[in-house]
Amino acid sequence: MNVLRINGLTKRYGRITAVDELSLEVEQGMAYGILGPNGSGKTTTLGMVLDITHPDSGSFEWFEGQYGRDARRHVGALLETPNFYPYLNAIDNLGIVAHIKQVKAPRFDELLKLVNLYERRTSKFRTYSLGMKQRLAIASAMVGDPEVLIFDEPTNGLDPQGIAEIRNTLQRIAETGKTIIMASHILDEVEKVCSHVAIIKNGHLLASGTVGAIISDDFLVEVAAEDMPGLQTAFETDSRIKKAELQEEGVLLLHLENETPAAAINEWAFSKGHTLSHLRIVKKSLEAEFLEITANQ
Amino acid sequence: MLYLLRLEWKKIRKLTSFRLFSVCYLILLPAILLTGLRFDELPPPINTNEVFFMFPTVWQYLGYIGNWLCFFFFGFLSIVVVTTEDSYRTMRQNIITGLSRQQYFLSKFYLIVVVSLLAALYYALCGFTIGYLNTEAIYWHKVWQHADYIPRYFLMCFGYMAFGLFLGFMIRRTGIALFLYLAYIMFIELILRWGIHLQIVEHRSMHFYPMNAVEDLVALPFLEMADEFTSKYGFSIYLQPWEASITVLVYSALFLYLAYWRVTRSDL
Repeated sequence: MNVLRINGLTKRYGRITAVDELSLEVEQGMAYGILGPNGSGKTTTLGMVLDITHPDSGSFEWFEGQYGRDARRHVGALLETPNFYPYLNAIDNLGIVAHIKQVKAPRFDELLKLVNLYERRTSKFRTYSLGMKQRLAIASAMVGDPEVLIFDEPTNGLDPQGIAEIRNTLQRIAETGKTIIMASHILDEVEKVCSHVAIIKNGHLLASGTVGAIISDDFLVEVAAEDMPGLQTAFETDSRIKKAELQEEGVLLLHLENETPAAAINEWAFSKGHTLSHLRIVKKSLEAEFLEITANQ
Repeated sequence: MLYLLRLEWKKIRKLTSFRLFSVCYLILLPAILLTGLRFDELPPPINTNEVFFMFPTVWQYLGYIGNWLCFFFFGFLSIVVVTTEDSYRTMRQNIITGLSRQQYFLSKFYLIVVVSLLAALYYALCGFTIGYLNTEAIYWHKVWQHADYIPRYFLMCFGYMAFGLFLGFMIRRTGIALFLYLAYIMFIELILRWGIHLQIVEHRSMHFYPMNAVEDLVALPFLEMADEFTSKYGFSIYLQPWEASITVLVYSALFLYLAYWRVTRSDL
């Protein structure tokens, strides 16, 4: 089933066009990432499909229209910051969400255990740390077991431990086969959680498809030797190497299809008569690739 | 409707200002009237403090005290329940969670109706109790002589709260909205009426301002007797109750419509 269909959605703030003729489709069961730098229109887009921002033109449809105007009750969403009543505790706050969504028997304990807030369930929201607030927001999005979950920058402002916890939670949810729409400017996050991705910049859709198709997952190795031009020619003609690019820092970046031990690469170079002065396996530079995609447009 | 009212109850039940304002109202309404016990002799035209507690005049004096209390506590409450949801961004979250904008507005509207009803019922309860205990011979026609004060009291409280809701939705900032609420009722409208309107036209149309009409629903009793104003300007200092009622209903409908318009139109 088609969960969300966005058709030519446009939002202008004065002269600035925050979202420009954006169209995309999310199918049931997808973990859909909306990737883009800060200010690219991710939150504005989600705000429009959640009815808090009025679009200037374009349209969107939830669940092929089967719930009509009540569609948002079937969507659990966390937009930007976690927004709760600071003078109420976790249970009371979730109670308000359940009331709005008209959930008959909400399982708050289960949800609060899932996000590690069970021990603090009777503390007021205002006493929570940022990470706890974010986790409560995830629990609140899941109240009533909605068909779609929307997360907007779910790890924003968290410390590394908090980021890891949230990502683990999200991965667990994604694995259950629930439809997830997640906006983020962090590629790594999208790659870990999502199956599909749309890249947007300045409100324009640059690319969309499966994560594998959009983001290359080459194995990267940096090498250097005395005779750099010679080394480049040697590797460029090697069929085991997809691409050999000379970097600005004076090293050669090799793209390989599969993971290869460093020793093997050293051996290949040596057999072509080059002694490597530098050999480093580069952690897949997704951020760099993302920057490349967004910069080229 | 019950769905939205129960939602509001979940929200305000633990809200400090709601608890504080309610307790203050519940205590102060009878308490202030009862301080009248300490004044045995009063200047004319009142003469004796008995009128404070006797049927039918208890309705007028208790009502006038309630007028001030509703103006402060329930007017403030209606602003706070709107602006805090804006600053906590919970209104936005309510919409995201599934409430429609119309429902959100209606939940606040129902809230002020119910609070005004409860305030008027408590006023009726206090009025009956105090009147019953302090009137030697109870004639039912005396008891009911000014009982039209009860629906007027409800409308008075509703008028303040509708204005508060309007300011809350329009201005969105608690401090500024509270300040404007106080400043408008206590100064701005007085300047408009007495400083500008009356100087331009000496006509009783100067009374048909929104908050003046609200105040006149349950007005200070003995000013009616002071006829200096009437002889000078040729019209009474107060609106007739039915005039005040219609004026309040018209202005409240306008305020609520504008607030509704704002809620449905604005980006959150």
